[in-house]
Amino acid sequence: MKPFALFRPEADRDAQAKAGAETAFKAGGIDLLDRLKERVLAPQTVIDLMPLRANMAAIGRDADRVRLGALATLDQVARTDALRDPACTALAEAAGDAATPQIRNRATVGGNLLQLSRCWYLRNARFSCLHSGRGDTCLAQEGEHRYHAIMGTNDCIRVHPSNLAPPLYVLDAKVTVLGADGATRDLPIRDLYPEDPAAESPEHRLAADEILVAVHFAVPATGTRSCYRESREKQAHDWATTAAAVRLRLDGGKIAEAAICLGAVAPVPMARPEAAALLIGEAPSATLFAAAAERAFAEADPLDQNAYKVPVGTAVLIDALTEAARAR
Amino acid sequence: MSRHREREVEIRVGTEALHRTIKVQVPEDDPKPWDLDSKLSVVGTDVQRLDAVAKVTGRARYAYDQAPTGLLQGTLLRAPHPKAKVKRVDVSAALAMPGVRAAIATKGPGTDFVQVRFAGDDVAAVAADTLDAAIDALEAIEVDYEVEPFNTDYLAAEGAPRRDAAGQVTDPWPEEAEVEAALAAAAIQHEATYSVAVQTHSSLEPHGFVAWYRDDELEVWASTQATFGVQAGLARALEIEQSKVRVHAEFVGGGFGSKFFAGAEGVAACRLSRDAGAPVKLMLSRYEEHTAAGNRPAALIQIRAGLDAEGHVTAWDFRNWGGPGYIGRGGSAREPAYYLQRAKRRSVQKDLATDTDSSRAMRAPGWPQGFFAAETMLDELAAKAGLDPLELRLKNDSHELRAAEWRLGAERFAWDERRNAAPGSEGGRWRRGAGLASAVWGQMGSPGRTPHKVTCRIHADGTVEARNGAQDIGTGMKTVMAMLTAEELGLRPEQIRVTMGDTRDPAGPASGGSTTTPSLAPAVRGAAVQAKAELAAAVAAHLGAAADDVTFAGGSVGTANRRLSFADAAKLIGPGSIEATAARLPNYDGFQDFVCGCQFAEVEIDTHTGVVAVRHMLAVQDCGRVIAPKLAESQVLGAMIQGISYALHEQRVLDHNVGRMLNGDFLNYKITMVRDMPSLDVVLLPVANGKNSVGAAGLGEPPKVATAAAISNAVHNALGVPVRSLPITPDRVLAALGGGK
Repeated sequence: MKPFALFRPEADRDAQAKAGAETAFKAGGIDLLDRLKERVLAPQTVIDLMPLRANMAAIGRDADRVRLGALATLDQVARTDALRDPACTALAEAAGDAATPQIRNRATVGGNLLQLSRCWYLRNARFSCLHSGRGDTCLAQEGEHRYHAIMGTNDCIRVHPSNLAPPLYVLDAKVTVLGADGATRDLPIRDLYPEDPAAESPEHRLAADEILVAVHFAVPATGTRSCYRESREKQAHDWATTAAAVRLRLDGGKIAEAAICLGAVAPVPMARPEAAALLIGEAPSATLFAAAAERAFAEADPLDQNAYKVPVGTAVLIDALTEAARAR
Repeated sequence: MSRHREREVEIRVGTEALHRTIKVQVPEDDPKPWDLDSKLSVVGTDVQRLDAVAKVTGRARYAYDQAPTGLLQGTLLRAPHPKAKVKRVDVSAALAMPGVRAAIATKGPGTDFVQVRFAGDDVAAVAADTLDAAIDALEAIEVDYEVEPFNTDYLAAEGAPRRDAAGQVTDPWPEEAEVEAALAAAAIQHEATYSVAVQTHSSLEPHGFVAWYRDDELEVWASTQATFGVQAGLARALEIEQSKVRVHAEFVGGGFGSKFFAGAEGVAACRLSRDAGAPVKLMLSRYEEHTAAGNRPAALIQIRAGLDAEGHVTAWDFRNWGGPGYIGRGGSAREPAYYLQRAKRRSVQKDLATDTDSSRAMRAPGWPQGFFAAETMLDELAAKAGLDPLELRLKNDSHELRAAEWRLGAERFAWDERRNAAPGSEGGRWRRGAGLASAVWGQMGSPGRTPHKVTCRIHADGTVEARNGAQDIGTGMKTVMAMLTAEELGLRPEQIRVTMGDTRDPAGPASGGSTTTPSLAPAVRGAAVQAKAELAAAVAAHLGAAADDVTFAGGSVGTANRRLSFADAAKLIGPGSIEATAARLPNYDGFQDFVCGCQFAEVEIDTHTGVVAVRHMLAVQDCGRVIAPKLAESQVLGAMIQGISYALHEQRVLDHNVGRMLNGDFLNYKITMVRDMPSLDVVLLPVANGKNSVGAAGLGEPPKVATAAAISNAVHNALGVPVRSLPITPDRVLAALGGGK
């Protein structure tokens, strides 16, 4: 890596004040250190947020809200009692199934939501990738794209790698951001990501001097269940080829509320409200879920090598819906 | 070495079920070969790897861990173009940078090479105070390339066959009257094309060296599987006397066939050290490991074959197009000839060169790819003929020993129960299937062109050494040497101090072809026997007994009624120590010259997502005398794991437009890990082969031969259709089922 100054703040406001165009925030370092070592990123200053763990790593639940500090680890998320409610299962499942135990012990909620895409052109300085600014075409489209996006793309077919984002979408989470004015603001998680992601859009919409400090959401009404499922080529230490998070509330044998979000299929997490709407007022059934899943992938426009993601993603979504609706 | 004074001994060889007595002419100073009737007290017992604790606690020092005072860090500049000529290299700006101590061109005018052969070929090298300073300096090296057109896809190379949308070769077969007549006469005929992807060695310790050139002598710590080969190679490259080159490789973090040579990195490390006047460490990065350190080549294999009405293979036509990279050779695929004794057959091998990194030997080079195709073809034939795959094997397998292994394996694996009698017909989401495949390997060790030797020393303080200059690449050869020495001296293995991996010690083999154990073991025993004879003579004189009456057992030495502890016996040694060096003698005729094996796999497939899970595997493998059962099983387990990974996950992905590897890491180059592991069962079938005084046989490679083929056949059984390409990824499973793409 290139030399850089390491800044270890004592308070989140110190970190925010130090941040700018030539700085990079580091939480667990899972994403950042790879990019530093590969020299695809060479900031002048790395601002290490880990000294702020005392205030930014807690997971708590009061009354009907769950709050996850941005520095909480995936392992904490997977184990916390605050997510024991069946309505929150999807989030704990996504965290507990990610990567490896070592990574889950280190990777953070904030890092997971804000990481760079894992596109193999993007993260290798030897390739002149469009999204990175090193090149003027998306090499993946004409090249190797078996792990790339099948929907929601413009001129870049990267996929968003976060596996916590889809469950947080279906839980209608908000993120708390410390801004340049020193004040915090809340925004819906979907506003964290570009609306119409292009090559020139960064992975997320936070400014260089803004810090994601927490994620929070209201625990859904009693009777709600959520579920997260993903497909992979191997079952440990691999990234999802498709992912689905769902939330269902059944009332009198009918689905009263539903939310669906797909992961690993597009440059941003893909909420699928039209598919969810098909479920409302219906009794859970294999036929219903198949129809909803088909609707969820109706806009898929895969390339040659990633066409498999459509049937696989459909199966994964049906699995998630089936599990969420399963009587327990 | 002379065999003029030989004695004839009778030994009983083979297995208990399949044995015979043979006569062997044994040189006078070589002990009688161990046979079926030998009663051994250490060899064959359950001993822990002696350096296990040092390895798992990090105390074992690999080449990567060496850090002599003043160590500089070296790195190589890699060409960005798949094919180019280097017209000019100027390292002066790099040399002027702070912290940079040496910079050299490795290609271009003034060097031996101008041609860039693949993206990632070395062009220059730098040594600096830190690795980051060295990498910074690479950016300051000026290189003029004359860029040339390239092709990185072997199936787009000149001479590649045409294929249809399903990947099946459509080029006509060259004429061959006998084979074609046999095919025409066959009751069952079948033809198919198979393909395998490039697999990289992915050794945990990368290739690399710590080199220290001082006082006109060169000392290196190498991550290598050939200490003596590296010594000779570096002496040639640096133009210094071989006697002035010393190579250490006390611990090696894997090689799998990729670490036989000094390589660009070794030569550069030594040249940089010579220029800088300081030790230089140059270890490859993971990306360099994947892109510039060799691989198992890709292959496209087409087979047409026929069975007669009884299920005998009567025709077998095999052609392989190998993709071995720029080197253009080494892409051959092997066939299980023992099924084909009745067949009219032909084998055509053609290599298609590309502007990519060269293939290198990799754990049974050519075997897993050829056996995947051949054994999958046999199951396709069996399905057409309505035969059980095991029945087809038993009808055709000409090896008596493997026939016994098939029966043993089928019973232990519960073949009849696991084999899905109605594959693919039940329409359920999860489908189970079972498959099997065979293996063969012919390696009983050899003396080497000039004989390998082992030294045994017994010191007056009772300590015992066994020494050889070859490397223990990770198989546990040091433990094997300790066990063999302890067996002869009546000691425990942990009482023997073993030294390997120093070219100042007696010569030993390169670790290739599964030869290290069978080549060295007889010399280890021979040295211990000779050292023992010297100590026995001293003890006999001390006791006033005949030397022939002195025995070594249970830590004591002496006659039946007067015994000394080994430590007290050693006090009779001196001045100096007992030192005996024994040479590896040529093999006897023995029982047979090869080992057999077979493997069974059960898979479960999610037909909705295409994910294949291997649930259970069994390997039945013979390997001569099993010296250290735990280490031997470890070889088989490791090969099976690597084979599962080859079958399901591993593949080099190149962007053919740019000509570079995309997944040169452990993120997207997928290696099977713990959650994908089945239960693994290993049965080692002991065989007294009588080939030499120990009778060990090579075991590193044979268990890698059958694994992918057995899994492929299990997938075929589960789905009712074969998947003819490795790795068997979800997209391919869905395509085979007719869904997805």
